[in-house]
Amino acid sequence: MSLAAGPGRGRVAGGQTPADLRLVIDKHVAYVQKLDTRRDELEYHLTEHLRVSGVYWGLVALHLMKHHDALPSQGVLDFALSCLRDNGGFGAAPGHDAHMLYTISAVQILAMTDNFAELEKRVPDGKKKIAGFIAGLQQPNGTFAGDEWGETDTRFLYGAFNSLSLLGYMPHQRPSETPMIDLPAAIAHIRACQNFDGGFGTSPGAESHSGQVFVCTAALTIAGEIDTFLGEDGKDRLGAWLSERQQASGGLNGRPEKLVDVCYSWWVMSSMAMIDRLHWIDSAKLTKFILECQDPDEGGISDRPGDMVDVFHLCFGIAGLSLLGHPDLIEVDPAYCMPRHITSKLVGR
Amino acid sequence: MASHGVPRVSSAAVDKSEAAKDKERKRIEQYRSLEKEVGEKIRVGDFANTTFQQISSLLQQNPEYYTIWNYRRILLLDVFHKELKSGNNAVSESQPEGADGQQATMTLAQQEIAMLVKEDLQFLIPLIKQFPKCYWIWNHRSWLLATATQHLPTKTALQLWQGELALDSKMLALDSRNFHAWDYRRKIVRELERLGGKSMVEAEFEYTTKMIQSNLSNFSAWHNRSQLIPRLLEERDSDAEARKKLFDGEFELITTALYTDPYDQSLWSYHQYLMSTLDRSSPLNSANYARSTAVLSPITNADRLGYLEQEIESIKDMLEGAEDCKYIYQALLEYSRLYLDIEAGNKMVTTKELAGWLAELRKLDPLREGRWRDMEMRMKL
Ligand SMILES: [Zn+2]
Repeated sequence: MSLAAGPGRGRVAGGQTPADLRLVIDKHVAYVQKLDTRRDELEYHLTEHLRVSGVYWGLVALHLMKHHDALPSQGVLDFALSCLRDNGGFGAAPGHDAHMLYTISAVQILAMTDNFAELEKRVPDGKKKIAGFIAGLQQPNGTFAGDEWGETDTRFLYGAFNSLSLLGYMPHQRPSETPMIDLPAAIAHIRACQNFDGGFGTSPGAESHSGQVFVCTAALTIAGEIDTFLGEDGKDRLGAWLSERQQASGGLNGRPEKLVDVCYSWWVMSSMAMIDRLHWIDSAKLTKFILECQDPDEGGISDRPGDMVDVFHLCFGIAGLSLLGHPDLIEVDPAYCMPRHITSKLVGR
Repeated sequence: MASHGVPRVSSAAVDKSEAAKDKERKRIEQYRSLEKEVGEKIRVGDFANTTFQQISSLLQQNPEYYTIWNYRRILLLDVFHKELKSGNNAVSESQPEGADGQQATMTLAQQEIAMLVKEDLQFLIPLIKQFPKCYWIWNHRSWLLATATQHLPTKTALQLWQGELALDSKMLALDSRNFHAWDYRRKIVRELERLGGKSMVEAEFEYTTKMIQSNLSNFSAWHNRSQLIPRLLEERDSDAEARKKLFDGEFELITTALYTDPYDQSLWSYHQYLMSTLDRSSPLNSANYARSTAVLSPITNADRLGYLEQEIESIKDMLEGAEDCKYIYQALLEYSRLYLDIEAGNKMVTTKELAGWLAELRKLDPLREGRWRDMEMRMKL
C-alpha cells in the first residue's frame, strides 16, 4: 500500500463541463489496488511510517464505494497483525514502534474486515491487550499521550475513544467492570481545550483548528456527551465557526485565512454533521469541489484541483461525498470515518 | 496524519529514463540497507557513536520516521544514564559562562549532558526550518528540553529555554500562523515562568502587540492576546476602572483596524472575542470552565448593554462604503441578539432593521443560506 503521491493530478477531464462531473468509482478502485505495486518509487519507502494508516484509508474508500473485497482479505489481516507489538500497541509497519495513531488504524481495519474473532484466535486476549495499551496512555489530567515518549494532543484522546469503543472497552460498554479509563477527566480536558468561538485547540490555550474540532466533537459523540456538553447555543456557536470555513470554490479550509483542502473539508463537514448543522453550508458546491479534485483517468483524489492525488485525500474525499449523500456510495459514520453499518453493529450507533 | 496542503510533485509523474530509474533503485537500496542496519544495531544494543550518526543520516532523509526518533532518544538516554551513574560528580574548574555572567555549577556528568543536548538542538535547526509542520521534530525538541530540565541545574535549564524562545520567535517570523510554533511558545513561557519564578505575561502581551502591528491580519497573534488578557489583569491586580480602561483600549485598537479592512475575518474574530466576554451564555464564562476568562469585573447588565449599544452604533457606521461586507451584517445580527437576550423590550434595534440586515446577508452570502434560514426562525424575523 503506497502512500506516495500521484501518479496523476486532480483535474476536470478535457471537454467536460462541471455539470458532467461524475464519481469515477472504477478508476478509484483500480488506484487503490495498484498502490502496493509501486515499490520501485523511493517515496513508497519513505512513507512506510504511515503504511497501516494507508491500508485504513484505502479500505475506507473501497468500503464506501461498495468494493470492500477489492483487496485480498488475508493479506490485509496478516499485514495488520504483523504490526502488533508486545506492548499491545500497533506500529505503522512491521518493526516500527507502537503508537496511538497506528493502533487506531489497525483496530479500524480489524473492525472493517470483521476480524476481532480471528485476532483472539491468534493472540489470546488480544482485544484486552490492545485496550490496555491505549488506556495506559491516559495522563493524570485526563488527556492521552501518543506513546511512551509522552507527547499529548487531543488527537490521541479521540484515538483512544475511537479504538476502545470498537473493541468494546469504553466504560459505558462495561458498566459492571472497573473502568479502564477516567472518562470524566478526559471530558474535562476537552472542555479546557475549548475556545470562545466554540472550537477546540490541540491543548488548553491553543487556537481553534478544524482538525482538533473534529477530534473533540467526535470524542464527545462517541462518549455520548455531545448534546449535554454543547447544548443548542454551543452547537450554533461552533456551527457558525465551521460554516465560515466554506470558500467561494465550494471547498472548506481548516482555519481562517487558509487554503481550501479536501481533507479539511472532511473534518469540518463531519463535525457539522455531528452537531446537526451540515445544512449550514452549500453541499452542491462542496460536492463539485471534491469531484474536481479527482484524477478522472487514473483515479485518486488530491487536496485541491491541480495537485497530485494520494490515498489519504481519496479516503476523505470519498467519505465527504458519502456524507453529502452521493447516491453511488454507502453511508459513512462521521465520528469514525467508517461505514455506518459496521459501527452500528459494533457500537450500536 | 499525512502531509498535505503543498502542491505535490511525484517522481512517478514524469516518465523516467532508464538511468533515472537506476538511480532511484540505488537510492532505495541505500536507504533500506541503512534502515535495516540501524534497526539491527538497536535490537542488539549497539549504541556506539556510529549508530548515532546513522540515525542522524536517516532522519535527515526522512524526518517523519517516528521510530527512528525513538531510537535517537534511547541512545541519548543511554549516554545520560551512563554519565550520571559514572559517579562523575566532580565539579570541573572551567565552567562555561552563563549569559548573565554568573556560573551554574555543574558536575562533569551534567556538563556532558548539556553539551549533548545543545548539539542535538543544533542538529534540529535546519530540519525544523525545512519541515516546520513536522510533529516529530517539535516533539523531539520538546523532549530534549524536558530531559535537560530534569538533569541540569535550574540556571542552565533556564538558559536553554531562553534559547528556545528566541528560536520560536524566528519560526513565527517565517510563518506567523504555524500552530506548532504557537503551541511551543506557550510551553516555553510556562517553563520559563516555572523555573524563573517570574511572570512573563506583560512581555508576551507586548509580543502580540508587536506581531499585530507588523501584520493586522494575524489571527494567531490576536488569539494569543485574548488568552493573555485575563491573566494580565489579574497579575496587575487591576481594579474595575483599570479593567475598563484596558477593555476600552482593545475596542479602540480593533475598531481602527476594522475601519481599515472590514473584510478581514481575523479582525472580526477578535472583536467577537471581546464581545463574548459580555455574553452570559458563552461556555468560557461558565463556572465550570477551567481558566479564568473575566475581563470586566464586576460586570452588570447595564455595563453589558452600554457596550453592546456602543458597538452596534459603531458597526452601523462601518456600513458606509462597505455595504457589500457580509461580516458587518453578521456582527449587527449577532450583537443585536445578545442585546435582546438581556433586554427583550428594547427599542434600540427594531425587528424591521434586523430583517433588513438579514435580507442583505442572504444576498451577499448564499453559501450559508441554511444558517440564515435557521437564524430567521430563531430570531422570529
Ligand atoms: Zn489535505
